[in-house]
Amino acid sequence: MIRIENVTKTYGTDVVALRDASFDVPKGEFVFLVGPSGSGKSTLLRLLNRQDRPERGAVWVAGRNIIDMPSGRVPQLRRNIGNIFQDYKLLLNKTVAENVAFAQEVIGKPKHVIRQQVPAVLDLVGLAGKEDRFPHQLSGGEQQRVSVARAFVNRPLIMLADEPTGNLDPATGEGIMRLLDRINKTGTTVLMATHDQRIVNTMRKRVIQLDRGVIVRDQARGVYE
Amino acid sequence: MISRLAYTFRETWASFRRNMTLTVAAIITSAVSLLIFGLTLLMQRGFDNLLVKWEGGVEMIVFVGSNANDEQRAEITNALDAQKPNLIESYRYCDVECSLDEADRVLAGDPGVLELLTAENVPTQFKVVPTDATDVDTLRLLRESLREAPGVQNIALAVEELDTIAKLKGFVGLYTLILSIVLLIAAVLLIWNTIRTAMFARRREIEVMKLVGATDWFIRVPFMLEGLIHGLLGSLGACAGLWLVNNRWTAGVQDFPDNSGFEAMVVPGSFTGVVMLGLLGIGMLAGAIGSGIAASRFLDV
Ligand SMILES: Nc1ncnc2c1ncn2[C@@H]1O[C@H](COP(=O)(O)OP(=O)(O)OP(=O)(O)O)[C@@H](O)[C@H]1O
Ligand SMILES: [Mg+2]
Repeated sequence: MIRIENVTKTYGTDVVALRDASFDVPKGEFVFLVGPSGSGKSTLLRLLNRQDRPERGAVWVAGRNIIDMPSGRVPQLRRNIGNIFQDYKLLLNKTVAENVAFAQEVIGKPKHVIRQQVPAVLDLVGLAGKEDRFPHQLSGGEQQRVSVARAFVNRPLIMLADEPTGNLDPATGEGIMRLLDRINKTGTTVLMATHDQRIVNTMRKRVIQLDRGVIVRDQARGVYE
Repeated sequence: MISRLAYTFRETWASFRRNMTLTVAAIITSAVSLLIFGLTLLMQRGFDNLLVKWEGGVEMIVFVGSNANDEQRAEITNALDAQKPNLIESYRYCDVECSLDEADRVLAGDPGVLELLTAENVPTQFKVVPTDATDVDTLRLLRESLREAPGVQNIALAVEELDTIAKLKGFVGLYTLILSIVLLIAAVLLIWNTIRTAMFARRREIEVMKLVGATDWFIRVPFMLEGLIHGLLGSLGACAGLWLVNNRWTAGVQDFPDNSGFEAMVVPGSFTGVVMLGLLGIGMLAGAIGSGIAASRFLDV
């Protein structure tokens, strides 16, 4: 599903965010990206949905090398990828349901599909009954659930999560992890960057560790260390 | 498709209200610039009406009375031929039909007089191109010698009629054109800035849209529509202003002294209509393209 080949990404002349990184993620796998701050985790995730391009190497997503993909095809690529962020990135002037529906409206999904799928996905993430609330009327955990719902509503092949539990207390973070685990069990490939040792150690999924842009460990059923 | 249209209009309207001040400034500027541009065109046309009978280097016109016979016309022809090539380079006879056509244009602002002109009473004209247009004294002598010829009603010299007009046309035309272009640039810059502000206000939404896979066109179109509406409203304002000014002018000219010559500067309604359509086109195009470029440029926010 995802294959990174000898990828090097630099910012400016001296910051090397990724150095000769290679790995392979089959469909349906769950992968943690760990490593100290500034080691290149977010950079790696940004390469996967073409928010950035590496100087060297190849990035394969769903069978296509997306580095030289014409920019006209990028929207199609991104419709297959869900994104979750530490700061949720919800639209504050829209309700819960509108935030989720937005992800379908802007890619031209018909109204009747939206009317049917939005409640279903809100139910899945445990937000049934809170459709008409605004983000500021929700707890942090609930807001992150909205963003998971938004990322998942179009049934992406891949889910990219950049420290989704970074702003949450442990119990709430665990709730989000159970949700991501369920999404993963539907066949969605999940890549998650995190600093959360407890989560990594309890979930026992594959762990890829970065240090100053270099992959220093790639371990099945790994721990944080 | 319907939901997409609804989305586009909703976003355009919301953005419109968010940036009221900038929007109004952009619309007013484009209205003023287009108005001045339109007025320039109308004035040029008015001046052209004054100048039309002098086109092609003609410096002297011999008006022949409608009651003159062929013999008398032949005599005038002979008199003109006698001065070739020393004083006269060439001349052209403008017959009844040609003279009526010209009157249609020159007298557009004076329908009363125009109506009185018929094929029976319109004077015909010999249009004379002199060998040396700058030698005014010789031209005056030539006029004296022709004046007494039978059938000649009147002889007009360009130097006496339109020296000031021609100068005025060049001066007014150039400066109003420059002014309108400068203002049009200002209008486009204002629209550009309005769109940039609108996009900045919605940068979070744009970021989310891009992440979930909205196409650039989908994101861009509401902003282009917004710019197009700015341009449209501006040009509608300009058209209203133009119509008003032209109406006042047409009405006002009737009160000028009969021989002021200004009645020739009235522009027919059909021409004004064409200019208005042009202004609408320029306004909408400039608005849409300006904002489209701005939107593309700031799509990476
Ligand atoms: N847009 C950018 N311009 C310049 N340098 C950047 C940019 N984005 C990231 N970097 C640099 O690239 C390196 C890797 O950054 P990245 O954000 O990928 O780290 P990270 O592992 O996600 O860190 P954290 O755990 O703090 O989120 C850092 O040195 C960072 O300063
Ligand atoms: Mg990061």
